[in-house]
Amino acid sequence: MTAFELDWSRSAGRRRLLLIFLVLAPTFIACGTMASILPSRGGSPLEIVLLAVFAVLFAWISVGFWTALMGFFLLLQRRNRYSVSNVCEGLGFSIENPHARTAVLIPIYNEDVKRVFAGLKTVYDSLAATGSLDRFDFFVLSDTTDPDVWVQEEEGWHRFCTEQDAFGRVFYRKRRSNAKRKSGNVADFCRRWGKNYRYMIVFDADSIMAGRTMVRMVQMMEARPDIGILQTPPAGVNRETLLARAQQFANRVYGPMFAAGLHFWQLGDAQYWGHNAIIRVEPFIRHCELPRLPGKGPLGGDILSHDFVESALMRRAGYGVWLAYDLDGSYEETPPTLLDELKRDRRWCQGNLQHLRLIFSRGFFPAHRALFLNGILSYGSALLWLAFLLISSAQAVAEVYLEPVYFLDTKTLFPQWPVWRPHWALALLGSTAVLLFLPKFFSYALALLRDPAARLYGGRLRLACGILLEVALSTLLAPVRMLHHSVFILSTILGKNVGWPTQSRDDRGTPWADAVDVHWWGTILGILWGALVYLTNPSFFWWISPIILSLVLSIPLSVLTSRASLGKAFRRAGFFTTPEETEPPLELRELAKTLQEEAPYSPLPLSPRQGFLRAVTDPCVHALHTSLLLRYKKGAPAREEARQALVEKALRSGPDSLSSKEKMTLLNDPFHLAELHRRVWELEDDKQAARWGLSQPSVD
Amino acid sequence: MTGLPKNIPADTHQERAAWRTSRDRVLLYLRGLDLPPFEDLDLAAASLRACGACEEPAAEGLGSPSPAEAMESLFNLLEEQRPEGLLGMRRIPSCPSLNRGVMVAEPMDRVPWKTAFVRWMRRWRRELFAREGAR
Repeated sequence: MTAFELDWSRSAGRRRLLLIFLVLAPTFIACGTMASILPSRGGSPLEIVLLAVFAVLFAWISVGFWTALMGFFLLLQRRNRYSVSNVCEGLGFSIENPHARTAVLIPIYNEDVKRVFAGLKTVYDSLAATGSLDRFDFFVLSDTTDPDVWVQEEEGWHRFCTEQDAFGRVFYRKRRSNAKRKSGNVADFCRRWGKNYRYMIVFDADSIMAGRTMVRMVQMMEARPDIGILQTPPAGVNRETLLARAQQFANRVYGPMFAAGLHFWQLGDAQYWGHNAIIRVEPFIRHCELPRLPGKGPLGGDILSHDFVESALMRRAGYGVWLAYDLDGSYEETPPTLLDELKRDRRWCQGNLQHLRLIFSRGFFPAHRALFLNGILSYGSALLWLAFLLISSAQAVAEVYLEPVYFLDTKTLFPQWPVWRPHWALALLGSTAVLLFLPKFFSYALALLRDPAARLYGGRLRLACGILLEVALSTLLAPVRMLHHSVFILSTILGKNVGWPTQSRDDRGTPWADAVDVHWWGTILGILWGALVYLTNPSFFWWISPIILSLVLSIPLSVLTSRASLGKAFRRAGFFTTPEETEPPLELRELAKTLQEEAPYSPLPLSPRQGFLRAVTDPCVHALHTSLLLRYKKGAPAREEARQALVEKALRSGPDSLSSKEKMTLLNDPFHLAELHRRVWELEDDKQAARWGLSQPSVD
Repeated sequence: MTGLPKNIPADTHQERAAWRTSRDRVLLYLRGLDLPPFEDLDLAAASLRACGACEEPAAEGLGSPSPAEAMESLFNLLEEQRPEGLLGMRRIPSCPSLNRGVMVAEPMDRVPWKTAFVRWMRRWRRELFAREGAR
């Protein structure tokens, strides 16, 4: 261990002790206050459970508060001696060592192809502008299962390479089996070509990074061979729906402070978030392959939240995992609607709960065990909040129906009067509110300290209004999220597995029918819960009314927050403005420009989205697709016969008669696809030919 | 529907319609290939002639090939001539050459969580109280 590593690990230890003290001390005080508010002073079994849940929740929100506060003070300092970016002082934007080659990995799974290649073009051009493009190669790693999207991806790759003369620098690989999902996709790259590269920068399908940022990351890794993974904090951009714009705003205003706070106490034990990060390939290959968890059910099998585990494995191997909190030029897109967010959270929830299996594994550093716990609590806290609220309601209802106990078992001279101390309850509520909302005030102060006019946020007043609106919106949505996260946890524990749904990355909005389908039971629960409490204990009703109101309004909330028109109206009014909207960086401007470009000319009346049809009919697309297939060997006679039957079925009944799986089978077989192509073009019947986009059926 | 003059016999109507379908099919395919200027037109003419289309239709009927015949003729011609820049005649390398390595999962306590928890507690107790236990 070098002197610097010893230095930072000691500092990290001291900082974590400080954090533990700052979290635990107020939690004890708050629990004492809470116990004194309760009718039996925390003496009844129900109150003991209530206090235990309260303690965990209070400690949980305290961690967030103190992290934010630490970040606030760290950002006030001019220089941080542990900042990874210190090593880049005085360096230009070139990578001297020709062996420091980096692969940029873009794992995709049924994504919007146009957006993927527009993002690739943006990053490619941005890197070219730094003059260091020759140190980077790009890999589009497809796990796509949709036949139409697969063909589109091939077309997109070929067009990009032709236009940019990027053959030999930008590669496309389609996996037949998407074992282990994204982590398996990246591992497959590592096995095939990992040895050719010293570093890899992992993207998400919607990630954008500035070329300068990527060069800086490589420079940092070159200067610090002790770092295994370097994570950047991506800023949310490019969304127009109200929900996403509020999240982009929150991410931009509060994010830097929380990132700095995380850096303060994590130092070299930070987390990898799965994308927008650079990884040292050699130790990653040696130490970070994920095992399958034994057993069946949701907590067994492939590890879903692979990133946390990979960072813990990298750290276990002796390499640091750092967060470059002060590095900008890293962007991602947030889920556009509440339903999309919940769909993503369902997967993340199961992934985080799987970490229960790893939390006691040998060799992990305590910080990473704590981070596993943190991930579990991200969703577990929802269930605890729900339990806390339900127990409180049960206590309030019981209070009405049960006779107070004036004389306990022990002999006393005076009766035990139930005492209600509203000022104590208000103090407790106030302190909880401080923990939740004071960091937002710190963020405001930080923004004004950097730019007193807050010009990039639309001005001081709009920034303040934006924060208030964001607080209101997140308060309204919090109970809905709580309820769904609780259900996710319960369904995971009960053994319901989650699939791998495609993520929606556009601003289409949620239809009312979809919102009703997802939120109807939450609305009914809210109405019943509210009615029961109001009828039995009206004074308690007002304490939980924000929760009830949110649940009752969950359907319109879900629909309205998914509307791009509403998001744009807020934008026009200057609310939720982010610096990336006020002064868009070159990369985001280029991305927007590329997305505006029209689809290339095609003489056939087929939409670019009809990938399978194009692979069969369009001669160029067909030729490209068959040329890209790996060396194909004919299979057993039975398999060949089955495929021949598919060709006959397609010709007889048209492309719509084929299922997605059958289309994939044909696309994977160049011989039968070529036969289908040839026979489609030889079709005599106009109507049959029209099904394949060859001609219009004649009108009789 | 065909737009032909009324005085042409029915057989000729059908033949001209078939000719048009074949011609359009061949031209559409060649448009789809996006070949260099005139090369596509030359190929279209050559393929239609090769499958027996007559240049003087008024004399002995149109001699029009069916779309299947016309396309077969075109496919054969493309196979023979292999126009430059045409995809599909060779495999396009979309990935670099393989440089295989292995990536194997390191041992991890892959035991049920309850067992893992008990073992972890024992290990933790041993490490924490080892000295006292030795006494």
